[in-house]
Amino acid sequence: MKRIGVFVCHCGINIAETVDVKKVAEEVSKLDGVVFAQDYIYMCSDPGQALVREKIKQEKLDGVIIAACSPSLHESTFRAAAEEAGLNPWQCEIANIREQCSWVHDDRSRATSKAIRIVSTMVEKTRLNESLEPIPVEITKKALVIGGGIAGIQAALDIADAGYKVILVEKDSSIGGHMAQLSETFPTLDCSQCILTPKMVAAGKHRNIELMTYSEVEEVSGYVGNFNVRIRRKAPCVDWSICTGCGTCMDRCPAKVPSEFDRGLSTHGAIYIPFPQAVPNKPVIDRDSCIYFKTGKCRLCEKSCEIEAIRFDQEDEIIEEEVGAIITATGYETLPVLDLKEYGGGDVPDVIDGLAFERLLSASGPTSGEVRRPSDGKVPKEVVFVQCAGSRDPERYRPYCSKICCMYTTKHALLYKHRVHDGQPYIFYIDIRTGGKGYEEFYHNAEEDEGIVYLRGKVAKIFRDGEKTVVWGTDTLTGRNVEIEADLVVLATALVPRESTAELVKKLRIQTGPNGFLSEAHPKLRPVESINSGFFIAGVAQGPKDIPETVAQASGAACKVISLFARDHLEQDPAIAWVDEDLCGGCRICISVCPYDAREYDEEKGIATVNEALCEGCGSCVAACACGATQQRNLSDSQIKSMVTASLGGE
Amino acid sequence: MAKVAYYPGCALKDRSSHLDRSARDATLKLGFELDELPTWTCCGAVPPVSEERVMNLVAPSRILKDVRDSGRDVLVTICDFCYNTLKRTNYSIRNNEITRRRVNAFLADDEPERDYIEKKEEQWVDYTGDVRVVHLMEYLRDEVGYDAINRNLTRPLEGLKIAPYYGCVMLRPQNEIQLDDPENPAIIEDFVSALGADPVSYPYRTECCGSYLSVSSPDASTRLCYRILTSAQKHGADAMVISCPLCFYNLDSRQKAIAESYPDFKQIPVFYFTQLLSLALGVEEGRQGFDRHFVDVAPVLDMIREKTGKGGRE
Repeated sequence: MKRIGVFVCHCGINIAETVDVKKVAEEVSKLDGVVFAQDYIYMCSDPGQALVREKIKQEKLDGVIIAACSPSLHESTFRAAAEEAGLNPWQCEIANIREQCSWVHDDRSRATSKAIRIVSTMVEKTRLNESLEPIPVEITKKALVIGGGIAGIQAALDIADAGYKVILVEKDSSIGGHMAQLSETFPTLDCSQCILTPKMVAAGKHRNIELMTYSEVEEVSGYVGNFNVRIRRKAPCVDWSICTGCGTCMDRCPAKVPSEFDRGLSTHGAIYIPFPQAVPNKPVIDRDSCIYFKTGKCRLCEKSCEIEAIRFDQEDEIIEEEVGAIITATGYETLPVLDLKEYGGGDVPDVIDGLAFERLLSASGPTSGEVRRPSDGKVPKEVVFVQCAGSRDPERYRPYCSKICCMYTTKHALLYKHRVHDGQPYIFYIDIRTGGKGYEEFYHNAEEDEGIVYLRGKVAKIFRDGEKTVVWGTDTLTGRNVEIEADLVVLATALVPRESTAELVKKLRIQTGPNGFLSEAHPKLRPVESINSGFFIAGVAQGPKDIPETVAQASGAACKVISLFARDHLEQDPAIAWVDEDLCGGCRICISVCPYDAREYDEEKGIATVNEALCEGCGSCVAACACGATQQRNLSDSQIKSMVTASLGGE
Repeated sequence: MAKVAYYPGCALKDRSSHLDRSARDATLKLGFELDELPTWTCCGAVPPVSEERVMNLVAPSRILKDVRDSGRDVLVTICDFCYNTLKRTNYSIRNNEITRRRVNAFLADDEPERDYIEKKEEQWVDYTGDVRVVHLMEYLRDEVGYDAINRNLTRPLEGLKIAPYYGCVMLRPQNEIQLDDPENPAIIEDFVSALGADPVSYPYRTECCGSYLSVSSPDASTRLCYRILTSAQKHGADAMVISCPLCFYNLDSRQKAIAESYPDFKQIPVFYFTQLLSLALGVEEGRQGFDRHFVDVAPVLDMIREKTGKGGRE
């Protein structure tokens, strides 16, 4: 029989106040196989761990139970201590008598008897534990970053700087994302382009970064360290390898297409580069708008191109790559103004969203930085900014706070005031949220020194009356209804995940939350990882956030990838499912229940097998298996049976 | 001729019976008959669904159950209040199991008194919300089709500029009613177009007319009605069209008080949608009860006569 030792932690008074730890040690020492039991004030401290090591050797223990806090806190600590003393780490178990006992009970005697049962249960488990070895998994030391906004660019640069290869995939023809559209950034008012373009250029030139713009991820298979990825490179209809980006073709193109980059406030040809600082600076042909593709005639761009780079017959290319880790940084869209009918969305030309206003403010924008309204190009003298347009509205739109609007609306009003000195900006708000370094000061300056009128209340309705755009709102501080005849209205529309992200997550098999944003593995402690190993997340795709936070999260995700790649190989926890091949009838129920695609069918043997690299040890297949062929290592049916008996008090 | 179960409601049975008559006349022209339920009670007119008391839902539920028991699955109303009350009661019964069970317990309780002798052999069957409550305007849009109405016009209201007015309960709450977008509706505009007239777009079409405030604080209602009517006029309206008897009453009868408070105010005729439908489908003038209006509708009738005289489809 195994020689088992039990160590009962006081956790200061966290456990000892409610649980009689001495009695626990005394009672469990009477159990079969328990040759040693002792309590100690802080087991996780250095002397506590030393005690464990010493007793393993002295008492020749071949099983150890630490009765303490949750295994998620210190299981790895004590397993390492056990290993140091020569014990197989999987012979060390944690009995949680803090979160599941002392913290949730008051009655000392009953809590003590419960603690005894919890420890007895783990004694039963340990009795039958096997010694296991971690499963080694090779790593492909190349990362895939999906999304070429500031999050993707930052993550790619960090990984590449650490010496690993990165593929940066972007669906548009240029990287840069939404940040490239912004005029100036809060709270420092530095020019967005000026701080972004050096990073774009660096990403474009980095020897470790392979830029794949105008491309989309089609399919992902495999597992952490060894993913197979299929990427579709959409045909730009231009041979980018010889194109110099001179722009002659764009000048000749007779088509007029509303510019997505300028939020429809300007037009470009069917062959276009979205903005002058694009990386790569190469044009694509929008087939839906191209006159040649629609009518079979034109080809003016082809005639104008001296180096003959136009390729009307170019086809999409499928590229297969192997990568070890994937960062998803697909960013966001804003709730379409069209959806906000009560705010005149789509009907009133002078109702625009924040990104459109950014373009009006931008020196490289359609009005060269002059604030001119879309309907007639006049300079607006009264501008109403509406915050929470579609945010914090669980009944009709989005329940969450979009986080950045308080700050960027204040910035908008401020920049407007700097350009139109006799103009009057109004801001309707629910609350002003300025959590961030220098943010509150920025807002205070705008409110006190810049003459911006803040109105606390929601806007009910916006409609056009002649040249004016009438805003009906309420000021909840005075309790009065407010009517403003504005020249321009800017809606701070809710940030929403991209529609294409929903498609992508299905391909990646990663999770999203109720609002469609990517889910992190733990909201506080694992904010840059997906719950599935090898997948990392960054930027607004995970939830609304501003640029500094996005960059921090991107660097965090990159760091996780780098620490993954820094290892020689991965070690997979061996406490996972295994199959008794003689018992398996090949019914494949396990395959249908496995959330990790770790169960596979072996045609030759006619049985279901376990892919050890993919299995996370969740136990779903073990529970589903009708004939008991699938078992969890160190959590076998017989272990569970005796654990249940022990937890019920013996018999 | 096809018959559709019809619930007139109190206002249209009494004070506004001319609006009910217009609906019956018009639908006959369109080839179906509004078949009034043999027995019916007051639906409760919105208060039942505005507070969560199951007892309040018993009366409207009994109406719906009677429709089901008569073997029909559609009930047409022409009053926004009845429509809202019956439809939302049905929604509660369909979606809330506790409400469904409690309402049926009440209904089953009074069953023996109502028709124990006649239906002795029949098993009690719970009402589960199977009847579809349909506004006549909705029925015209989805079942008859606005195109079909347009083809059947004998007196198209060409050249007439009509301002649709939605009021509060026809479209709200959206998740339960689902008739149209409450912030940007089109159902009445499209109806006006189907009659050959031009719908007028104006910002106050979905704003409140004061509803019951007409009784408790008439001044408030007067002010609200003034804003609605003048906004419609400013955008060129010759007349208003409405589908709620209370809105109709407010916007029509308040005009006298409005003129006293606001000297610049000019009167504008107000019509119920069934009246315009009846007119445009060629029902004899005089059956629409225009003599019961507070505001003289003669100017608009003259415009229609003038148009139809000059090459109408008659």
